[in-house]
Amino acid sequence: MALAKPGGLKRYYDVNGWLFIAPALALIGIFLIYPIFRSLFLSFYSGKGMMLKFAGFGNITRLSNDPVFLKALINTTTFFVIQVPIMIVLALMLASLLNTDKLKFAGFFRTAIFLPCVASLVAYSVLFKSMFSVDGVINQALMAVGLIGTPIGWLTEPFWAKVLVILAITWRWTGYNMIFYLAALQNIDKSIYEAARIDGVPAWARFVHLTIPMLKPVILFTTIISTIGTIQLFDEVYNLTEGKGGPADATITLSLYIYNLTFRFMPSFGYAATISYVIVLMVAVLSFLQFYAARDRS
Amino acid sequence: MYHKTIRSRFAAAAFAGASLFASTAAFAGEVTIWCWDPNFNVAIMKEAGERYTAKHPETTFNIVDFAKADVEQKLQTALSSGTTDALPDIVLIEDYGAQKYLQSFPGAFAELSGTVDYSGFAPYKVQLMTVDGKVYGMPFDSGVTGFYYRKDYLEQAGFKPTDVQDITWDRFIEIGKQVEEKTGKKMMGLDITDAGFTRILMQSAGQWYFDADGNLNIENNTALKAALETQQKILQAGIYKPSSGWTEWVGSFTSGDVASVTTGVWITGTVKAQADQAGKWGVAPIPSLGIEGAGHASNLGGSSWYVLESSAEKADAIAFLNETYAKDIDFYQKILTERGAVGSLLAARTGDAYMKADDFFGGETVWQNFSDWLSKVPPVNYGIFTNEVDTAVTAHLPSLAQGAKIDEVLKQIQSQAEGQIQ
Amino acid sequence: MRPTPAPSARAWRILPGAATYIALSIAAFVSVFPFIWMLISSTNTSIDIIKGKTSFGDAFSTNVANFFTLVDVPLVFWNSAKVAILTTLLTIAVSSLAGYGFEMFRSKMRDRIYSLVLLTLMVPFAALMIPLFMMMGKAGLINTHIAILLPTIASAFIIFYFRQSTKAFPTELRDAAKVDGLKEWQIFLYIYVPVMRSTFAAAFVIVFMTSWNNYLWPLIVLQSNETKTITLVVSSLASAYYPDFGVVMIGTILATLPTLLVFFIMQRQFVQGMLGSVK
Repeated sequence: MALAKPGGLKRYYDVNGWLFIAPALALIGIFLIYPIFRSLFLSFYSGKGMMLKFAGFGNITRLSNDPVFLKALINTTTFFVIQVPIMIVLALMLASLLNTDKLKFAGFFRTAIFLPCVASLVAYSVLFKSMFSVDGVINQALMAVGLIGTPIGWLTEPFWAKVLVILAITWRWTGYNMIFYLAALQNIDKSIYEAARIDGVPAWARFVHLTIPMLKPVILFTTIISTIGTIQLFDEVYNLTEGKGGPADATITLSLYIYNLTFRFMPSFGYAATISYVIVLMVAVLSFLQFYAARDRS
Repeated sequence: MYHKTIRSRFAAAAFAGASLFASTAAFAGEVTIWCWDPNFNVAIMKEAGERYTAKHPETTFNIVDFAKADVEQKLQTALSSGTTDALPDIVLIEDYGAQKYLQSFPGAFAELSGTVDYSGFAPYKVQLMTVDGKVYGMPFDSGVTGFYYRKDYLEQAGFKPTDVQDITWDRFIEIGKQVEEKTGKKMMGLDITDAGFTRILMQSAGQWYFDADGNLNIENNTALKAALETQQKILQAGIYKPSSGWTEWVGSFTSGDVASVTTGVWITGTVKAQADQAGKWGVAPIPSLGIEGAGHASNLGGSSWYVLESSAEKADAIAFLNETYAKDIDFYQKILTERGAVGSLLAARTGDAYMKADDFFGGETVWQNFSDWLSKVPPVNYGIFTNEVDTAVTAHLPSLAQGAKIDEVLKQIQSQAEGQIQ
Repeated sequence: MRPTPAPSARAWRILPGAATYIALSIAAFVSVFPFIWMLISSTNTSIDIIKGKTSFGDAFSTNVANFFTLVDVPLVFWNSAKVAILTTLLTIAVSSLAGYGFEMFRSKMRDRIYSLVLLTLMVPFAALMIPLFMMMGKAGLINTHIAILLPTIASAFIIFYFRQSTKAFPTELRDAAKVDGLKEWQIFLYIYVPVMRSTFAAAFVIVFMTSWNNYLWPLIVLQSNETKTITLVVSSLASAYYPDFGVVMIGTILATLPTLLVFFIMQRQFVQGMLGSVK
């Protein structure tokens, strides 16, 4: 081979290395990196629509006096703090149940639980709105079994609206995460479980002491991806609340607020860009913390 | 006037000629229009387009139908990015947002003051599309409000149509309690995620979120205060069916679950679409807040047409709007009869369609009534931040149900609104 | 003589089994129910849907007929399919090349760039919208399907997925191919792609679903009825002034069918591909 010389090998590496990643880098550079910097530039400007003036840190001052921003920040935080752990634990439990030896109908269960992922965000929001309306099938069912006496205002009461959003995202994404865990579980040698079982280790302890530690990298990965997704939450709340984030701003998220500042209100591009950087910052800090927490224990 | 029209027609012809040589020749003479309601403004614009094309075969129309939120979002995106080639020639804008667009994007919309004779239109419509003495739009429909009620339900509860004429909201609540007792039906559908009802009540007493100079007017706004108090009474009396969002709210009365609906005249088409309810509906003036300056006439929504300055078919588009919406009385009769559209061209109201009785409403001359109420709508200044303050108000509506003190609520709305409008 | 297990131990072994089936059945029911609800609703009139009718009705054919009069179904489907398939193929091509490149030709510089690429996952789309729209405007691409494609092709997530999966690619194969004198692109095309086909299948499923269901960006970029995709049609039907929910339900069914089909057809390869990515 012509790569005998060390220099030649390095050259071969570099030429091919760059060539293979070049298309992706070019696209990312143009359609991600450039717009990000453009947004950063915008965040130092303020004004109505295109009548932009340099504002320095004016937008940051505005942030600190804006009750809606605070609400959006709290809601977004609430959503991921509550929803992500619920979903991850659910997905883990379902995955380990599906991984049970000689489980009958495993394919059916797996397909059924993954099914929500094929639903488009628009379609499932429309469905959920109709199912959870005041007269909807969910209220009817809850009343029929006697759990509630009067219909729950899923979309008219602030507390229940938050619950509905969490239910909706959990429904849509649990199966997706489960598939990752299931795949990881099937890579694990079954004999470890068999040994533990023979030693009389109960199911819950096998789950906590065997399954979770072995899946740690996957759990970390899905947690980060889910956190990012939930922090950027937009489509669901937009379609469930007709773009308003109501009632009483109970479901407004940072992304929805950015959208409103850009498209519904007097356009404040600079301010909207500033808030989008708050999201970037949150995601960065959280990802770091999650990595750090995971690294600490190993 | 006449002279100007000739000139714009000539300009249109010249433009059409010139574009024959351009690469976009295929679209020359085609006016693209964005609007949002297939049963209302879309259908009406199609009718207007057909009428115009019949007389001017060189001009055709491409009417694009998006959801209202989509139209607004696309318009704002395109104007913000300065990408005007993505825009249509004519766009429909809801009156509340008119000043926002006109002031945020100066130069984006074509000035029509020289072409259109605005003296023939309802003054409040012209005022909301005027910036620095220049007028930019073609006034379209009015959102004059009415109190639509189910005669059959009220009768069961022992009320005659005369019992709901010119009442107050307090009386409305009393009637509502009786109706629920006798028929089991709620009096109205209430969408807690929308401040539309609040705006109707507030404007009926001649005030808005802003004063005449555009300054925020919340804490000392007696009309807003009364509007919120009334809603709190309604919430506490429990005479409403809660709904979330527009579609559920519409469903509350089309399905026959509630006994009345108070909203803009443009709802008539929806009400009448339930053919099996013919003869069961009546329309009365909306109840009054009972405070100083309060009346029985108000407005909700309403919209107008705007021509984009960047439009390649600008001259054609203006000529088209001017010929149909500013002059064609017959056109207004047709859209009233077929679509329930109450236009804001004053002369149109002398047409015969406005005089006719409507069998759906048991032979009442409803259009005459609406036309009458329209002249009584108190003019207010919508300002440029109606959406922002509206959001602040909406955010505080649920707290009314929990018995919050109105003065406290007003204070909170004020502070949230202040944070929003800068 | 072998000791027989104590009765309690036997019960212990049967009980979790039953609990497993019950738990999985509940999860499966909850997951599938909205789809059943969609089917039930599609047979009811708009008013019945609003009232929460829970039984099948007889309005299905009317709803379908209304949907087909309101919507140019073949055109809308063609638009959606064109965008989704092109996006998927291009995304997979670009991302698999990058995943292969980042893993096979590691260097300090490229590893750093890779971390940067992963960082872009954190940027919310809301922050990119306005600048992206301005760029598309300048390029004259507004209201074209290319404008939807371009910003979605380079996906950090799919690049990550391919790189992870590439770790499992047997290096002996590559070494052998090199000895045989194959160029790197030939190795990629003739060895890597066939060997990793389940990885590609899983990526296909994920990207196709994301792209088919994409909402916000097409909503901003597509301006005319002739270019609309199915998700836009469903959302505008649902937010119309007088939404006919029967028709909307037909829309949601039609919008869901293709992703459902893709998933069912490729399910086996999809699960295998996911398996490879988490090794």
